[in-house]
Amino acid sequence: MYDIATDHAGALSAAIVLVVVLWLSVRVLRWLAGRRIGWAIRLFDAYAAAPAITKLAAALMLLSGGLHLALVPGHEGITALLFVIDGVGFIVLGIAAFVSRWWRRPAILWLVATILAYIVWVIAGWETPDQVGIACKLIELVALGLVMRLAQPGRRTWPRPIWRAVAFPTMTVGATIGIWVGGLAHPDALHAHAGAVLQPASAVATPTEQDAAKQLLAATRASIARYEDPAAAIAAGYKPGPVSNADPLRHFENKANANAVLDPNHPQALVYAQTKHGLQLIGAMYQMKRPGQWGPDPGGPLTQWHQHEGICFSPFGIEFSFETPFWTCPVGSTSITTPPMLHVWIVDNGKNGPFAADLDKTVQRELQGS
Amino acid sequence: MSITSPAARTNQAPSPSAPEIASVLVVTQASLSLVAGLSAIPFGIVEPGFRVLSLVTILIAIGMFWLARNLRRQRRWARRWVIAIEALSLATSLLLMLLPIGAIRGPVPVLVNLAMPAAVLGALLSRAGRRAFAPASMPDRKG
Repeated sequence: MYDIATDHAGALSAAIVLVVVLWLSVRVLRWLAGRRIGWAIRLFDAYAAAPAITKLAAALMLLSGGLHLALVPGHEGITALLFVIDGVGFIVLGIAAFVSRWWRRPAILWLVATILAYIVWVIAGWETPDQVGIACKLIELVALGLVMRLAQPGRRTWPRPIWRAVAFPTMTVGATIGIWVGGLAHPDALHAHAGAVLQPASAVATPTEQDAAKQLLAATRASIARYEDPAAAIAAGYKPGPVSNADPLRHFENKANANAVLDPNHPQALVYAQTKHGLQLIGAMYQMKRPGQWGPDPGGPLTQWHQHEGICFSPFGIEFSFETPFWTCPVGSTSITTPPMLHVWIVDNGKNGPFAADLDKTVQRELQGS
Repeated sequence: MSITSPAARTNQAPSPSAPEIASVLVVTQASLSLVAGLSAIPFGIVEPGFRVLSLVTILIAIGMFWLARNLRRQRRWARRWVIAIEALSLATSLLLMLLPIGAIRGPVPVLVNLAMPAAVLGALLSRAGRRAFAPASMPDRKG
C-alpha cells in the first residue's frame, strides 16, 4: 500500500550517502584535531564529551535535514520552500547539539512541528504518504524521543512526570493514525481498494485490446464451465480455500497450475459464491508466481492485474487485517504481499466489469440471497 | 588542550545513555505495536481470531512500555527480557525476509523490523550497556 514515490527515490540514495558522510566527517574532524587545529580541537572535544544519546539525536536530525534537502528537487511551491527551511533547521540544530546550550527546546519544537506538518499535508491530500516520507517520520519520532529524554529531571510534582511519560507515545500513536487516515482518505489511482494495488496501464483500451479482453473472457468462460459442480473441480485437483465470515467468496486453488501464465485451460483458482442453494461458480483467478511480477495484460487497462499489499495475515485462522503505515501487524500475524492476480468474472459484474479486482457488492448481495 | 563544551555541560545525562537510548526505542516499538493491536479490533468483528491477536498485541505493547520504564531504571531483569524479546523479533523478521511473501519490502519495514531491534540489542549488549546494568552502577531502588 505504501510504495516509494518516484520523486522520492533519490532521497533514499541520499540517506545512505549522508550516513557515510556523517561518519567520514567525524573521522576528518578527529584527524584535524590531531593536527592541533584550534577550531577542530574545540569541535571534536565537544563531540567527544557529549553523551551517546545526544550524538544519536543529533545524527538523526542531521539525517532528516539531509533527506529534506534531497527531496526539494521533486517538489515545488510552498512544499519545496518548507523542505528547504526544515532541512536547514535540522542541520543547524544537529550541529548546535554539540556547541550550544539552547538547542534542546528548539529541537523539540522543530521535530513536533515537522511531524505535525507532514500529517496535515497527508490528510489534506497535498502529499501522498510513501515509504520515504514515513521512514523520515520514524527517524524524527525517535530523535524526538531521545531529545525529550535529555531533559534534566525537574519538578517531580503532578502533572510533569505523567506528561513526560505519555507525551512521546501519544505523539507516535497520533502520527501513525494520522498517516494512516491520510493514506486511506486519498488513495492514488492505482489503488482499487485498501490493500489492492493495480498494474500500471494506459488509460484507454485500443480496439485490439478490447477484442483481446473479449476473447479472454469467452475462453475462460468456456474452459471453466466444466467446474460448475465443485466436486468436478476437486476431482481435477482444485482445493477449496478456507471458509471466512469476512468473505462469502471461496477460492479453489490448484497448485499444479502454478507455472501456467494466463492460460484459460489452467487457471490458478476458481471462484465460487456461497448462495442459498450451494456454491455457484462465478469466475476464475489467474495468478503469477512472485510479488511484483505483473502478468501479460492483453486487454490493456481492461485486464489490469492487481496484487494485495499491506495485509496482515494470520496463519492461525487464515484471517486478514491491514498493517499500519509503519509496517506493523498484530502479534501472531505477518505482513504479506500476494503475487499479482487477475479475476475473470463469468457472471454480470455490473459497472465494475468482468476483470475487476472485486466482485460488485450489489451482485455479491444478490448472489448470496439467491 | 581540552575545552569542556556547553553541550557537554548541559547535555550531561542524569543516567547512562545506553539504557535511555534502548528505552526510547522500546517505547517507539511499543507505541507502534499498540496501534497495530488497536487497528485489528474492527477486523475482529468478522475475524474471530483477530480478537485474540488484537488483545494479545495490546497487552504486549503495555508490557513493553513497562519494560522500557524499568530499562531506564537500570533493572537487570528488564534488560534480560528486552534482549530476549528483541532477539526473537529480529530472528523472526530475518526468517520472514527469506520467505517469498513480501514481508520486508522497502526502508520502513527494514527500519522497524530489523534496524530498531538490532539497535536495542546493540545498546544493551555494548560495553556501555553492560556497564550501566552492572550491579555496581545500579541506582538506589528506594529513590
